[in-house]
Amino acid sequence: MSDQKNYIQLIYRIIVGLILVWFLSTIWPYISNVILMLVFAFLFTTILLSSVDNLERKINNRGVSVLLVVILLLGSIGGFLGSFISQISKQAIDFSKRVDKETLTIEFANLVEKFTSSLPNFLKTGQSSNEDFASKLAEFTQTVLGSLASMAGAVGNFMFLATMIFIFTIILLAEYHVFRKSLVSMIPNKYFEIGLKLIFNIEKSVSSYLKGQFLSASSVAAMSIAGLIILNLAGANLTLIIFIGIIAGLSNLIPLIGPFVGMVPAILISFMNNIGNDASTAHMLFGVLPSPFFIFDIILMFLVVQQIEGNLITPTLVGKSVGLHPMLVMISLLIGGTLLGPLGMLFAVPASGIIKVIVKEVAFVRQNAQYL
Amino acid sequence: MKSAKWENIFKGWNRKESNEILTLKQVPVFKDFQYSDFRELENLMHKREYKAGDYIFKNRAPGEGMYIIVKGNVKITVGTRSKKENVFANLTDGEFFGELALFDDEPRSANAIATENTQLLGFFTQDLMTLQERNPVLGQKILFNLGGLLGERLRKTNALLVKEQTKK
Repeated sequence: MSDQKNYIQLIYRIIVGLILVWFLSTIWPYISNVILMLVFAFLFTTILLSSVDNLERKINNRGVSVLLVVILLLGSIGGFLGSFISQISKQAIDFSKRVDKETLTIEFANLVEKFTSSLPNFLKTGQSSNEDFASKLAEFTQTVLGSLASMAGAVGNFMFLATMIFIFTIILLAEYHVFRKSLVSMIPNKYFEIGLKLIFNIEKSVSSYLKGQFLSASSVAAMSIAGLIILNLAGANLTLIIFIGIIAGLSNLIPLIGPFVGMVPAILISFMNNIGNDASTAHMLFGVLPSPFFIFDIILMFLVVQQIEGNLITPTLVGKSVGLHPMLVMISLLIGGTLLGPLGMLFAVPASGIIKVIVKEVAFVRQNAQYL
Repeated sequence: MKSAKWENIFKGWNRKESNEILTLKQVPVFKDFQYSDFRELENLMHKREYKAGDYIFKNRAPGEGMYIIVKGNVKITVGTRSKKENVFANLTDGEFFGELALFDDEPRSANAIATENTQLLGFFTQDLMTLQERNPVLGQKILFNLGGLLGERLRKTNALLVKEQTKK
């Protein structure tokens, strides 16, 4: 009789589970953006919460503390970006003063000639004639215009997301303890202590993950700065090294795309600083591969930094911070990447950390069910 | 007419203390605390309500921290209601129990049952750890006071033990 009851209960649970999965998959397209915003807002809140709490204790006003911390954060981001943009535009102005259009054209022509002459014969066979060139150029212009339009849409969408995340972060920071208490008050008395422990462990796991990510970003920044200094010793003539290092460290937090974003400013600056410099144009990587303006040296340096970070620092530092085995971190990253792309990779490790905490607590509850 | 500025400056003077703060003031673990300390504790603690006869925790249940009675009554027992139930203590407003769980991962050593509708404040290991991180001075004060109380109890238990042994 009891076996039959268990079967009915099991079937009932499976049906409820299936309905839930169907319901979630139906509404997911409508709520995914809001959930994404809330997840980001929660992450930013976790980063800023201790500063707000500390300040609140000193000035005794939560609202003002949130405002001050947010203003300070925006000020530092704005200051960093502003200073970087002003420095790079100053360099761009110097560059335009130094190089006129004609020199630039000649320089490019020389560069293309040098590069094609160094290519093996079989790679040169597919080169287009002058007649195809006009049609290819028109095609290229159309593609660029199309990309620009879609980029404008993406920028608009990004600005909307960023504004909403910013607003959610401010609200969460101001009301975090109230929200947390309301959540805790909803736990039934029977599961109260276990529920509280679960929430605390999830918070701890997320905050440790963020600390790990911060360490990982800092190590990428430090390694990039060191690498750029070494390139300078080899004659790369790079400036704004600290800025480039910080950008590389920060952008490295976004899996797949991030590391390439870090390379761009370095290549741009190397190009601007070295144009017209024959030694730099004729530079060869390891004396074999032509690497004008040290472009391939820079790319190689960033690739080495990424390999060290991806295979050594992240699995050990970040995995350790959420208590996951390096192997599990890699598997989580692969699953996250397959399911949701770069965004999935960004959230894969903290999500695995949270799942691990929940599984552990559920097992603990099952083990101690008779005492609750 | 009163100036808003002066009213603002002196607004803390006629503050009304909540029931929770008034209760916390009676607990020896929080002796010598300032009003701002009590506010911080109040923000960390969890208000819970239990009906008469509800278990707050059962013997051998995993324990996470201590409870302070704001209003009501709690009995501490071993054994079950149907079998032999030994009542160790009857606790009322301002008294606390379960503090050992703040220090170790051992399961609870007794049952705690509400004997009437009871309001409690829960203070747990996680809250103590959060407090240690946010306000280490306050965290240390609590640990020091708790240490003192446990030492006092140990001394009393030792005295009882010596008395029992000399009887034999």
